[in-house]
Amino acid sequence: MLPVEPPVGDTTWEVVLDAPRQDVGQILDIELSGSLNLRRTVMRTLEVTRSRFADWALVVVADPRSDSLTLYGGEDPRATTTVRRAASADLLQQVIESGQHELLSVDSDAVPFDALTALIPHEPLRDEAARLRPADVLALPMAARGAPLGALILVRRSGRGFDETDVALLGQFAARAALALDSARIYEDHARVTRVLEENLRPPGLPVIPGVELATSFRSAAEHLEIGGDFYDVHGDDDSWLVVLGDVCGKGVDAAVLNSRARQSIRTAARYDRSPGRILSTLNDVLYDDASDKFVTVVCALLTPRDDGSVLVQVAVAGHPAPLVVRAGGEVEQPAISGRLAGVIRHDDRYQEVGFDLLPGDSMVLFSDGIYEAKGPRGLYGMDRLRTVLERYAGSGAVAMCEAVEQDVVEHLGGHGHDDMTALVVAPRRTGAGQG
Amino acid sequence: MTATTLDDVERFDAAVARADVDAALSVVQDLLDGGLDPVGVMVDVIAPVQTRVGRRWQSGAWSVAQEHAATSVAVSALEAVARATQPQGRARGRVVIACAEREWHAVPAMIVAGALRTQGWQTMLLGASTPTARLSRYLQDLGPDVTAVSCSVAAGLPNARGFIEASTTAGIPVLAGGAAFGPDSLRADRLGATAWAADARGAAAAIEGLPLVVPAVPPLPGDLTREVAALRTAHDAVVDEALRRTGVAPAAVDGEDPMRESLDQAVHSVAGAVLTDDPRLLGDTAGWVSDVLRARGFDDPDAAVRDALVHAMREYPRAATMVGDHWPDVAPRSA
Repeated sequence: MLPVEPPVGDTTWEVVLDAPRQDVGQILDIELSGSLNLRRTVMRTLEVTRSRFADWALVVVADPRSDSLTLYGGEDPRATTTVRRAASADLLQQVIESGQHELLSVDSDAVPFDALTALIPHEPLRDEAARLRPADVLALPMAARGAPLGALILVRRSGRGFDETDVALLGQFAARAALALDSARIYEDHARVTRVLEENLRPPGLPVIPGVELATSFRSAAEHLEIGGDFYDVHGDDDSWLVVLGDVCGKGVDAAVLNSRARQSIRTAARYDRSPGRILSTLNDVLYDDASDKFVTVVCALLTPRDDGSVLVQVAVAGHPAPLVVRAGGEVEQPAISGRLAGVIRHDDRYQEVGFDLLPGDSMVLFSDGIYEAKGPRGLYGMDRLRTVLERYAGSGAVAMCEAVEQDVVEHLGGHGHDDMTALVVAPRRTGAGQG
Repeated sequence: MTATTLDDVERFDAAVARADVDAALSVVQDLLDGGLDPVGVMVDVIAPVQTRVGRRWQSGAWSVAQEHAATSVAVSALEAVARATQPQGRARGRVVIACAEREWHAVPAMIVAGALRTQGWQTMLLGASTPTARLSRYLQDLGPDVTAVSCSVAAGLPNARGFIEASTTAGIPVLAGGAAFGPDSLRADRLGATAWAADARGAAAAIEGLPLVVPAVPPLPGDLTREVAALRTAHDAVVDEALRRTGVAPAAVDGEDPMRESLDQAVHSVAGAVLTDDPRLLGDTAGWVSDVLRARGFDDPDAAVRDALVHAMREYPRAATMVGDHWPDVAPRSA
């Protein structure tokens, strides 16, 4: 059992290991596997080690790609240092490669540094450990999934020692910690890939349009992701701006890849022709040529701000509901317009365009079907409820209106799952003070 | 550093009340230029005005749309303060700050993030009503030193517990705060938070003393979590039944249904009170409900609301008993 008796001196160990061994293993498994983050898993390994097993501890993780060793811990459990592997201690290398532990006694004066030099490849850390002399040093190999991962180095002040039972139990602990660290390392690699993909697939930030307030809200069907089948985009110059919101069939990463392609196609088309109808025709052709069986619905609005603060809007849709226009006084209108969804059939139909004015205080709301098809304990959210919320928020500005829609839909869900949900609100600013 | 004057608060309030972003930003800029520290601008000017904004809706003076529009001005002002702020002192660790699901008040979390940032903490603000799965993803990806959870309304408390479980399972300490946690650390303690703070300045102080690694919180008592889970599953049905019990309502104004909204918050708050075993939460909610209803034409609503809740929750023994014992006959006015 470990420790055999309550620790003495200024040590901070807790007496915890009087439980049967399997229980100890279970406890440690839960504690070690709770995090998938490498840094947090190292911190927890050090915490468990320092509070239960040793006066000083160091986690060594070998990085085969850069041929370096990362040293975590010592006196400060947050400390991290990276050293070149070639310059590091021979005995440490042997522990890592052979998978066999090494146990050394370091006296006060005799053999002062040799043993520590052989195990701790960093001078300040070596000095920390040396201050505990006379002491016993145990270096345990850490290996996981058939490959060496690194080592766990523990120091106990003299008199505590490591007996055979200790070494065996600590060996098991190091093996469990190694597995947790390896899992965290694998997760970190995957997380990096996901992050890079997300950064490229998620909607870009919104531009600042003089005189026009913009707001968006997006909730992915996969709650832990920031990408999905919905997309939006706003681009242009001072004369006119294109506002796009679309929905690719499907959800998650597959859908995100297609929506990114649709978004880019629209951007490219818009460089040559800003007409929303012709942009949608081009999009249809491009997506059809991709020979994918996936389809896309899009609403595309061209904004032309005028000097008097109003904005001319021309809208076209491809299989997508037309935007709702919320007048300052609370009337909610929806332009009568339709058009085929994009990417399925090659056709020469022209996408119809309608035009209308947005005055300061008015708003235009673009949305995906995840909003009105949100299903909660009281059934479908529906267009009527969406209109009711928008009426209440008439004239309150794009940000307030967008948040209100998001909040109302999420509350309606009552914790139920949902499809991708996106809303985008465009509102010409009122000049000077006074929204109310 | 200069002191805040009442006049600063009034000027900012006037700008917010007109939903005039430009005027609000210029007040904030004047204060910063005048040497007021960023935390002072956030805590002593923006926060009290935000409290007034909430009260104005509560008392029926403002529509919910006006409240939202004013809040979006406060958010713009906080963003401006953040842009103008340089972190001071040594670099500290990383903090993830979020509101649990059903908590839509993002302003307090923004203020806490701002206060921590000025002290050198790297902050990641996840915003209003964050699903626990999303929080977990950030905890695993970033491996922060601390999770801070902000809870202004009782509806967020059960999900705040989810945050605490997610975070401590990963070994990360949790700092809890916000009006729904009440005036002391009791509710935060019961939910397993590592520490509690009364406000943004308290959060900036409390975060310094947190342990690096914490053990996973033990499960809450099973009979208690079972009842709360059942109550949350049946939430809408319970609200509907309570609503029927309260009878005829005055004509709705501005598309609001104040009785439904009050009962909705009340049922959430009962779940929070049962989960934290702290009946004081019911007194707070009763005061709020009373204000909201009286301002909208309901006369002496308190006893009727209590009786409707007890009736609708009769299959939930802890909840019904707690409401019967602690929902006041005449609620104290909170405004």
